Amino acid sequence: MSTAATEEITLTRKDFISDQTVRWCPGCGDYSILAQMQRILPETGVPKEKTVFISGIGCSSRFPYYMNTYGIHSIHGRAPALATGLAIANPELSIWVITGDGDGLSIGGNHLLHAIRRNVNLNIVLFNNRIYGLTKGQYSPTSRPGTVTKSSPMGSVEQPLNPIAVALAAEATFVARSIDSHPQHLAAILERTAEHQGASFLEVYQNCVIFNPNEWTELSDRRNRDDSILYLEHGKHMIFGKNRDKGIRLNGFTPEVVSLDEVDLDEILVHDATSRPLASILGSMEFPDYPAAMGVIRDVRKPDYGGEMMAQVETAQAQRGAGDLNQLYLAADLWTVEEREEAEEREITPVASDLDEMPITGLDEEYIDEMEKPAEALSEFQDLLVTSTLAALEPNVPITVGKRSSLARTIRQMNRHNIGCVLVTDEEDRLIGIFTEWDVLNRVAGIVDDMAQQRISDYMTPEPLALKADLPIAQALNLMSLHGFRHLPLVDEGGSPSGIISFRDVVGYLNEALEEE
Amino acid sequence: MSLQSDLKTELVSHLAVSDFTQVVAGTPVRDTLARMRADRQVVCLVVDEDAADESGRRQLVGIFTERDVMRRVIDAAGTLDRPVDEVMTPDPITIGPDASAADALRLMDEIHVRNLPVVDEDGELMGNMTHQAIIQYLADRYPVEVLNRPLDPEQFPRKAEGG
Ligand SMILES: Cc1ncc(C[n+]2csc(CCOP(=O)(O)OP(=O)(O)O)c2C)c(N)n1
Ligand code: SF4
Ligand SMILES: [Mg+2]
Repeated sequence: MSTAATEEITLTRKDFISDQTVRWCPGCGDYSILAQMQRILPETGVPKEKTVFISGIGCSSRFPYYMNTYGIHSIHGRAPALATGLAIANPELSIWVITGDGDGLSIGGNHLLHAIRRNVNLNIVLFNNRIYGLTKGQYSPTSRPGTVTKSSPMGSVEQPLNPIAVALAAEATFVARSIDSHPQHLAAILERTAEHQGASFLEVYQNCVIFNPNEWTELSDRRNRDDSILYLEHGKHMIFGKNRDKGIRLNGFTPEVVSLDEVDLDEILVHDATSRPLASILGSMEFPDYPAAMGVIRDVRKPDYGGEMMAQVETAQAQRGAGDLNQLYLAADLWTVEEREEAEEREITPVASDLDEMPITGLDEEYIDEMEKPAEALSEFQDLLVTSTLAALEPNVPITVGKRSSLARTIRQMNRHNIGCVLVTDEEDRLIGIFTEWDVLNRVAGIVDDMAQQRISDYMTPEPLALKADLPIAQALNLMSLHGFRHLPLVDEGGSPSGIISFRDVVGYLNEALEEE
Repeated sequence: MSLQSDLKTELVSHLAVSDFTQVVAGTPVRDTLARMRADRQVVCLVVDEDAADESGRRQLVGIFTERDVMRRVIDAAGTLDRPVDEVMTPDPITIGPDASAADALRLMDEIHVRNLPVVDEDGELMGNMTHQAIIQYLADRYPVEVLNRPLDPEQFPRKAEGG
């Protein structure tokens, strides 16, 4: 472990992106969770080769393929069991368990409970879309009563599980909740999940755009979400609302939503992530009766399973020596299984193939309609985001410099053209780097004495992200939001710079296009 | 619905505005740059200690950004040891937290600035309004279209296939 600290490796989001084709449906919330995971992992400082993602089965469980780390796409519901073994065998690893509401709470409910109860050093992330996505839309153990699906055509009659309450029942030492559509919140909570020692349990509300697209609308609608979400912060009053005018207070044992105009601040609950009873109260607050509690609900420190168990092994070894597996085998009662005559071949009755041809009867038209309810119609604006290409922005001709240019010349160019960034190209005019005002501030001003003697290739950001002009505007916004970019270079098929776009161009285009209509 | 009409109902105080570095007037440019690098911020707000109000709140007197580094510092010998006041933009135009996002965006466009310090009625500096706040808003507002896309667009699956 001392070696990791001596050499400083700076990883970026790109380092965690694998070469696998992502097979999620366009628009699936899993994309957002993946992007935030890839964004925060470099910040945790854990090397890629010490990171493992283990999943079960489901759309969510495809996650390990897309992470450029070690990964196991394991057996349905069994990821916590595999992960427990790995955590004990190699305590140096940072292990993430990725599961879904079906994988983690139906078939794998039992394994999940025990990994949490044992406080195994794992980061468990449960993607809750309240549906089985992979098998095309059956109700799950978190589906609300009345949910109409293919397997519950008249509406589910089952009491759903509340994942937070389940984790607390297993005395989880870290319990948190976030949502795919709030990337900043999600990133912050993923980081907290990674930091905690012992079993960390994070539930992420996730949108299945195909089979359950209306599940989280109230919580993800950017205009009203702050009226529906209680953002928890340890030591802070539980105040919420777009105008921060509502709070939570206790009336006996029952929490209630009050208006801050009518109630004094000292009556409002203060969040304490170390309080077990408070965690239960927060876990029991179900939307829409209450705002959905988001953030870290519980965070306490207890010895983790691997550490405790290995300490016992060490004590035993100190007292009685290293031990010998063979001796252990031979120590107990032994017997030999006699070889038998070959078992007679049993006749296997083939499964009736005519099952396939059985007509489906008894399904009312009404239920079928209900199941095939279309998702909300796209607004004109949403439509523009995905149908207009970057070429429609009429991108500016990019200003480029060759990679052998000096810093002095490059900066003169930028000032002459009054631009904030230049693209750097190689001999064949391919884009190999980008150099911006921030680089000047960060690496040049007051640091470099003789700018004429320095090559731009030593100061640029190599291999910049670039897009092709036939991609939708939404793709550019995606990168701008993830990385905080203001500009994005465009390249042609051969990798040569063909343009540069800024957010200003996007705003201008969207406003004009919508006025014309 | 157009972008402008959508942003009309959204207040600046509800947006994720950016952070900034803050120094007092008189700080040498060299130290200001060091602070901005340490904070990883492209914007520094300059406040005046002498002009503090009764509650000790300092008054915003200028803004110094990566742009000013390009235009007024990098090529001008000797500026590094001068006070930041000489290279900042004095008396920047600010915006209140209760202004609409649409107004903020329009203002940025009209006066050609990238940064609008957000100052409330008591003179408290609350953040720095930039295009990034609008980008973030759009990403959160339209997650299905904007957020939920793979990094490599060539990897985009052709059809919804569930898993
Ligand atoms: C042993 C076994 N039982 C059942 C299945 C069918 N199956 C595949 S995924 C799944 C549920 C997945 O639901 P969830 O974990 O919520 O994942 P999502 O697709 O919603 O992300 C089921 C029942 C299976 N593959 N293996
Ligand atoms: S079926 Fe649902 S959960 Fe699965 S990839 Fe598609 S949108 Fe995502
Ligand atoms: Mg599911």
